Amino acid sequence: MALKYESQVRPPLVVGGKDYHQVTEDIVRPIEAQPSRLWWIGFLISVALLLFGVYSVYREVVYGTGQWNLHKTVGWGWDITNFVWWVGIGHAGTLISAILLLFRQGWRTGVNRAAEAMTIFAVMCAGQFPIWHMGRVWMAFFVLPYPNTRGPLWVNFNSPLLWDVFAISTYFTVSLLFWYTGLIPDLATVRDRAKLKWRKYMYGILSFGWTGSTKHWQRHESLALVLAGLSTPLVLSVHTVVSFDFATSVIPGWHTTIFPPYFVAGAIFSGFAMVQTLLLVTRKVLSLEEYITIEHIEVMNKVIVLTGSIVGIAYLTELFVAWYGQNPYEMWAFMENRANPFSPYGWSYWLMMSCNVLSPQIFWFRKMRRNITVTFFMSVIVNIGMWFERFVIIVTSLYRDYLPSSWATYYTPTIWEIGFYLGTFGLFFTCYFLFSKFFPVIAIAEIKHILKRSGDTYKENMDVVEKKAVDEVYEEAHAAHH
Amino acid sequence: MTTSKEFFEVPKRYKNWSYGLIGIGILALLVGYFMYGASDDIHHKSRFWATLLQNSTYFLLTTNAAMFFICATILAFGGWQMVFRRVPEAISAAVPVIGVITLVILLAIVFGGHHMTHIYHWTDHETVANDKILEGKSPFLNIPFYIIWTVLIIGLWSLLGFKVRKISLEADKPMSVEQGKKYIWKNTVWASLYIVWFALTVMSTTPWLWLMSIDAHWYSTMYSWYTFASTWVSGLALITLFVIYLKNAGYLEYTNKEHLHDLGKFMFAFSIFWAYLWFSQFMLIWYANIPEETVYFNPRIKDGAYSGVFWFNFIINFLAPFLIFMKRNSKRNYTTVTIMSLIIVFGHWLDFYQMVMASVAPDHVEMNLFDFGIALGFVGIIMLVTGRALSKYPLVSKYHPFQKESIIHHT
Repeated sequence: MALKYESQVRPPLVVGGKDYHQVTEDIVRPIEAQPSRLWWIGFLISVALLLFGVYSVYREVVYGTGQWNLHKTVGWGWDITNFVWWVGIGHAGTLISAILLLFRQGWRTGVNRAAEAMTIFAVMCAGQFPIWHMGRVWMAFFVLPYPNTRGPLWVNFNSPLLWDVFAISTYFTVSLLFWYTGLIPDLATVRDRAKLKWRKYMYGILSFGWTGSTKHWQRHESLALVLAGLSTPLVLSVHTVVSFDFATSVIPGWHTTIFPPYFVAGAIFSGFAMVQTLLLVTRKVLSLEEYITIEHIEVMNKVIVLTGSIVGIAYLTELFVAWYGQNPYEMWAFMENRANPFSPYGWSYWLMMSCNVLSPQIFWFRKMRRNITVTFFMSVIVNIGMWFERFVIIVTSLYRDYLPSSWATYYTPTIWEIGFYLGTFGLFFTCYFLFSKFFPVIAIAEIKHILKRSGDTYKENMDVVEKKAVDEVYEEAHAAHH
Repeated sequence: MTTSKEFFEVPKRYKNWSYGLIGIGILALLVGYFMYGASDDIHHKSRFWATLLQNSTYFLLTTNAAMFFICATILAFGGWQMVFRRVPEAISAAVPVIGVITLVILLAIVFGGHHMTHIYHWTDHETVANDKILEGKSPFLNIPFYIIWTVLIIGLWSLLGFKVRKISLEADKPMSVEQGKKYIWKNTVWASLYIVWFALTVMSTTPWLWLMSIDAHWYSTMYSWYTFASTWVSGLALITLFVIYLKNAGYLEYTNKEHLHDLGKFMFAFSIFWAYLWFSQFMLIWYANIPEETVYFNPRIKDGAYSGVFWFNFIINFLAPFLIFMKRNSKRNYTTVTIMSLIIVFGHWLDFYQMVMASVAPDHVEMNLFDFGIALGFVGIIMLVTGRALSKYPLVSKYHPFQKESIIHHT
């Protein structure tokens, strides 16, 4: 009894008086039903975007990076901005599944599956940019360090760009494993319920012969813990290494020691915003409001205001230290190229500030955190802001270099640069639509795990424990332990 | 459970120890003053004041980290810590006391001026007038701002901490579920106020003003977060030490290995976090190799006088907790956790030592009984104040809505 207790002061995490069977029914229903018209429309739009992206990349491969508007000073533009943006988004999933598992946050069970899937798709999108930017993409395997007949010509181990290759591929692999092993029991549930032969066969293969025996569960749980332990440093490492791409240089505006933790905070910030965007739609379309409750949304909004404020402190720290350091180049980068609203890109700095630092402050208010329209709107605003953060860092530090004669007036992307970006949206949403059709978007087994502690009807029954004196609870727990 | 165990009765031995340590601190202060502070040698003078600066800021930030622990767990709706939450509360009661001492020391340093203390170059008008960079910084690095901001920093930490502790006492009376919800809300409001102020001070301005400005030309955006990480780990270790002491003395009946395990995890995790910030700051400066920045690490690495201290600092603050706390059993073993907590408190004291001393006296390391005496004096003050605070109120807030969750807590 005692172990299934949770304070009634905490709001329930599953509502609607569910039992185990109902949980399965609710979450598996969309997989077994025919996809709705809305699903088809969304899916086809995504595929169309993806195809546009494929064509844009095709142009770039055939004609070279000249298809983009990169020039003398702005050698990194939309491509790297988009890369960092997508990688950042790919942080929330593993943070939710790993770090929140270690912190024993019960609410993660409602959102972890979809967030992890989102992470994987986002990292896939991110990877496209550096790969296709290589120009001669058929030489991409040169990034792998192995004894070769090219001299041998080794990769540059001193380059943070190479560290990126290791960091992101490791992160992707572990995130995928974590997500997939979590899926196995649920896929077995889908298999066991399947009426069609091909469905049974397909989910049978996907669930690796899961039987649900105690031994299986035991190994499953230990694996989850081990992968959580491994993923935690990985989540931090990925954006840390991405920040090194900039911070190891001596470019004013890039070289600053706060970059690693500040990038990580920003990544979590944008990742949670994307989780909100996706889940607000998912819960509505698949009628999962009883599992992804307003409480879940509120908690994630708290994470957004927290990380947004951390990012805010970092922005102000950078700005302050640029002045405090009294280094004319650093001051110029910040005060003129960024903070001056009348400089060519000043608007982008202030757009970033207002989207990332100012607007999330409305989440200090409980009413705003629990307002779905506001949350949806804000989740989009945050990701616009976070895109501009990377744009500001990259372009405003580059477009005026040390030689004023080469100061390009303005950098604007070509249609193919934009097309490439839109294409990754296509890839992302195509994957997400397929995921939501074929896989349970909520972890069925994990919801069942917390149901008797955090489900609404079960919490009502906790009156008995609530009325007991503290000492009595202690005696019982003590007796049960020995 | 007998009622006598609900309140901490400060044992005579405990009292004697705390008075004894304070005595040692005062003795060290006096001897140090005549040996160093009153000396004509500028190196001696600066060494005297630097030691006071290092110790006061370190112990102030460490005790203040106890209140950060409380507010962070309130905002995260944490329940597991409730069985021992009065312990960090009591530690945070030392903030106003050490705060006043720190204030006196900081005021003495800035008012005494550069010629007396030789700590802050920017307090000297002549130096600033001949130094374009320091002149440019003077809107921030000036005595009036330093004083006003320092008074505000310490004053608001103390006031907000006092308020949070006061609210905690309301949980000594029964409350219904509805009242519990309101009570949690009230806690949340005050904890967020504290956290906001914490962000504006510990996470940014405080370390710039008190410590980074010793190297008035040098700057690093990471500096404040690094300082925060350092004192946050030592604050956790301090909490753990008091929890274990009370447990051994037969108090805190509800607290068990599960809670100890979680404290161990916290120390493990944030030691890694500290190392992460350490590495990021160091590596980025080393890699870019800009003279204005590397000047900070020159006395600390390679042939610098402080290289031994610097690397030893990394070993005891990262490698030791990383390797030892990795195992589950070591986090559940009272002896191991005690030893590790002591190492961490000492380790981050040493971190502050190199942060302050390598900047004030970069040419040589002179660590002797004076440094340890002053440190022990502060330990005595923390013991005395925390002991008193613990004895005033019940050790467990029996009616806190999350108390029962904490009792049945399993890692």
